[in-house]
Amino acid sequence: MPDAIERRKNVAPWWGLLFAIGAIGCNAPFFVSPPPWQGTLPWLSLLFVVLALIFLVTGLRRAFGQVQVYRGKVLSVVLTVIALVPVGLAAFVFVSARRLPSSTAAPQIGQKAPDFTLSDTLGRPVSLDQLLAPASSSSSSVSSPESRAPKAVLLIFYRGYW
Amino acid sequence: MEKRLAEFEAAGVRPVAISVDAPEVSRNLANKAGYTFPILSDPDAVAIRRYYILHPEGGPDGHDIARPAEFLVDSSKIVRWTNFTEDIRVRARADQMLAAAKKLR
Repeated sequence: MPDAIERRKNVAPWWGLLFAIGAIGCNAPFFVSPPPWQGTLPWLSLLFVVLALIFLVTGLRRAFGQVQVYRGKVLSVVLTVIALVPVGLAAFVFVSARRLPSSTAAPQIGQKAPDFTLSDTLGRPVSLDQLLAPASSSSSSVSSPESRAPKAVLLIFYRGYW
Repeated sequence: MEKRLAEFEAAGVRPVAISVDAPEVSRNLANKAGYTFPILSDPDAVAIRRYYILHPEGGPDGHDIARPAEFLVDSSKIVRWTNFTEDIRVRARADQMLAAAKKLR
């Protein structure tokens, strides 16, 4: 085996690791109030997962398939193993975050909103009718002048467990 | 959300948050985050089921919870606007909800 020419550095696994970190980074809770483009972040994360895998595979193929051209057998394996952790995690998060039940049976625009009575933070029962009534002593803002009935209520259902 | 509360009030819209969390859990959240809008507890997912947005075993310990959903309900209890995310990481934005609130008359 001739070693006339120096073998090239195998940088592909480093790119793989970088994209792997980027993939998990896209899931970091950056925003207190999410920006309009927040919807692109999950897809960016997925793109980074794919790019990471492409670079990791390329790195391994170079290290083991083109031994005459590239160095870095051990390094490519080590970096790939390290990078697979964030890659796997990002892929898992992508799937689980989107595993939501369909909302097609939920009340749609123009339909009647179902009634309910639930406890507030002090354990007092509050109904939808009461929410649509003028604010009396419902919250701490007793002194606020606007005691007119609201035009609407915005029901924000959230997952809880904060 | 809390920062824009005055704008919601100006639009005549009262935001109300609902989850399966117990009242004391929500009270802690409200105290810590400084929320002054009503937060309601639906531990048995009664209202959540009525709105057909139950996420069975969606909670961290296999509890039934709500899938994230927003409904703008007018004074005659008609739904005027809805938002259902397809990804729990993509949250409803205050601007989005305010825009819907301001369209009411």
